[in-house]
Amino acid sequence: MAAVIAREVRDGETVAVGTLSPIPAAGVLLARARHAPRATVIIINHEDYWPFHNGSKEFYDFAQRGKFDLFFLSGGQIDQFGNLNLIAIGDHDHPAIRLPGGAGSAMLYYLARRVILFRGDHTRRTFVERVDCVTSPGSSPPRVLRPGGPWKVVTPLAVLTFNHETKRLELESVHPGVSREQVQQATGFPLIAPPQVPTTPPPTEEALSLLRGPVREAVAKLYPVFCRTAFLAA
Amino acid sequence: MPGHVGSDYEKLRPEFKVIADPYSGKDVLLVPAIVPDVSLIHALQADAEGNLLVDEKEDDFLLAQASRVVVASTEEIVDPDALRRAPYGVRLSAIYVTALVHIWGGAHPTACRGRYGIDAAHLEEYLRLARSDTAFRDYLQRYVFDLKDHAAYLAEVGLGGLA
Repeated sequence: MAAVIAREVRDGETVAVGTLSPIPAAGVLLARARHAPRATVIIINHEDYWPFHNGSKEFYDFAQRGKFDLFFLSGGQIDQFGNLNLIAIGDHDHPAIRLPGGAGSAMLYYLARRVILFRGDHTRRTFVERVDCVTSPGSSPPRVLRPGGPWKVVTPLAVLTFNHETKRLELESVHPGVSREQVQQATGFPLIAPPQVPTTPPPTEEALSLLRGPVREAVAKLYPVFCRTAFLAA
Repeated sequence: MPGHVGSDYEKLRPEFKVIADPYSGKDVLLVPAIVPDVSLIHALQADAEGNLLVDEKEDDFLLAQASRVVVASTEEIVDPDALRRAPYGVRLSAIYVTALVHIWGGAHPTACRGRYGIDAAHLEEYLRLARSDTAFRDYLQRYVFDLKDHAAYLAEVGLGGLA
């Protein structure tokens, strides 16, 4: 997933990574170590990638000026329209699960030019037909000021892309060893897909060795447990 | 913003709009954000990455946040730790800075805190010569075109010791 995310980072862009996002952090740092050395990288709370001196206010002010080219969000539920739910599963007043809340995700989903959604799992519980609460809508009526929005979804099974014409998610590629049927089985809405679904290119040897070396070391400063458990042995 | 409603700003500045504040129901004046294409900021210190230390009594930070492009000049390039240890001033991240120029005495004829004061005589001369194009050409000739570099400028205005 980090290698897939890395490919989406373009050189010279300003890329920000929010809280609880170790996989995007690894992807962005991999991109910076490889093809995007001039990318400006911001990782919330990371001692080496946090340029602000005035708390999260300065971060949000920066975002509101439209300065982020790429950002990453996730959701307790994600639906076929790109809507995110970070509020509650079930009825809002009597929820089955109370989710952590949206923080800045509604604003950032509108303002970062491209937003990549990520999940560490791919199940029908998460990928639903319609979210129970809309924290961040995937699309807006034309009169709403919205320079940015959803771009792709990266999961352990596949990459989905957001079609801005139809305002729906579509299957872009399945990871090596994963079939289209497996992805459909794990997804709570009918997948729109080309007749021949391409396979996601696997990470190169170079990418893997960077991920297991300097990238892992940098990410461990913020996510030590993730880095002890999530990386395969070199 | 509260205030201003009923003043002549309403007539003089058509881009200012009066609307009812949806919370209190009272009229307030809306002022559109200014987004400068370029701002020029002179920093007390900077590091080689472009992180700046600016005077907290000035609004350089706000200016940098608002502008599309920021060109900074600085009295002094120091190492990043020295910026962190500075006893006063506001740190402004390199993320806002498009380009950085190392130019001691770069705030002249205005002041730079802890370094040199305002050059009132020079400013008066500037104001006098800026009144007409011909006179301003003389100013440019003397202080820009006839001097070979910035050190020569500082010597000419009596700040030669800084270099």
